[in-house]
Amino acid sequence: MTEIGTALPQREFRVTREDLVCYAGAAGDFNPIHWSDRVAASVGLPGVIAHGMLTMALAGRMLTDWAGDPGAVVEYGVRFARPVVVPDDDAGVTVTVDAAVSEVRDDGLVGVEVNVRVGDEKVLTQARAVVRPPTNG
Amino acid sequence: MPTDPSAAGRVYPPQPYEVSREKIREFADAVGDPNPAYRDVEAAKSLGHPDVIAPPTFAMIPVLRGFDVLMDDLGIVYARVIHAHQRFAHARPIHAGVQLRTTTTLDSIRSVGGNDLLGIRCEVASGSGESICTATATLLVREVGGDDD
Repeated sequence: MTEIGTALPQREFRVTREDLVCYAGAAGDFNPIHWSDRVAASVGLPGVIAHGMLTMALAGRMLTDWAGDPGAVVEYGVRFARPVVVPDDDAGVTVTVDAAVSEVRDDGLVGVEVNVRVGDEKVLTQARAVVRPPTNG
Repeated sequence: MPTDPSAAGRVYPPQPYEVSREKIREFADAVGDPNPAYRDVEAAKSLGHPDVIAPPTFAMIPVLRGFDVLMDDLGIVYARVIHAHQRFAHARPIHAGVQLRTTTTLDSIRSVGGNDLLGIRCEVASGSGESICTATATLLVREVGGDDD
């Protein structure tokens, strides 16, 4: 039985410049702040940053892996609070995600709060989803 | 140059997007998600879907088509744009083979600290008009050339 407070397993995702290039092509999002240090600096960013949508998608893996059926993620929203700066090296940056059930609704769906950090800094805030929980949850 | 505040309320013509199995697989690969429901038709069918389905944030691809039209209309280049907020409410999953039509509305324009915050709503529907996903976004349009950084 899924209850308020049920925790989803914490996950870490590594993001490199190569991942940004892949995501840009797959998503059709070629904003140069995600691949050009020169353009990123010209608009006042500390460096090339990850697509917010890539970070959102990685965090969403918590939900789809838990539910099993990706179609069980009914609502999903985030605020992109801080840019995820991706250095031009092999290590990239590590995004840490944890999540817990925050609401159990009468219709059987559950609300999930997702925490997404780089180090100690929250990069996504107000990250919430409504999910049809796994039957063995 | 600030965004024309009178543009709030504009509704842009529906943008078509045809969802393919290959694009779903490519997107799932790019976000590193191995879930078989994105790649294996039988696995998707066993979950009750008519074909492979797309990850929850795949909707951003048709939504971006809508953004493109809006940005073009307002004369905004993407390098100035920071994605501030995004939310998807799915009436049902997007699956391969569906023809999508995305209608974009510029709900609001607010000026905050010299930058513009655009509130945008995209209604993603099937070709027959059935609602599939409502995507709401806030985009921050930065004033370039300032010395506030």
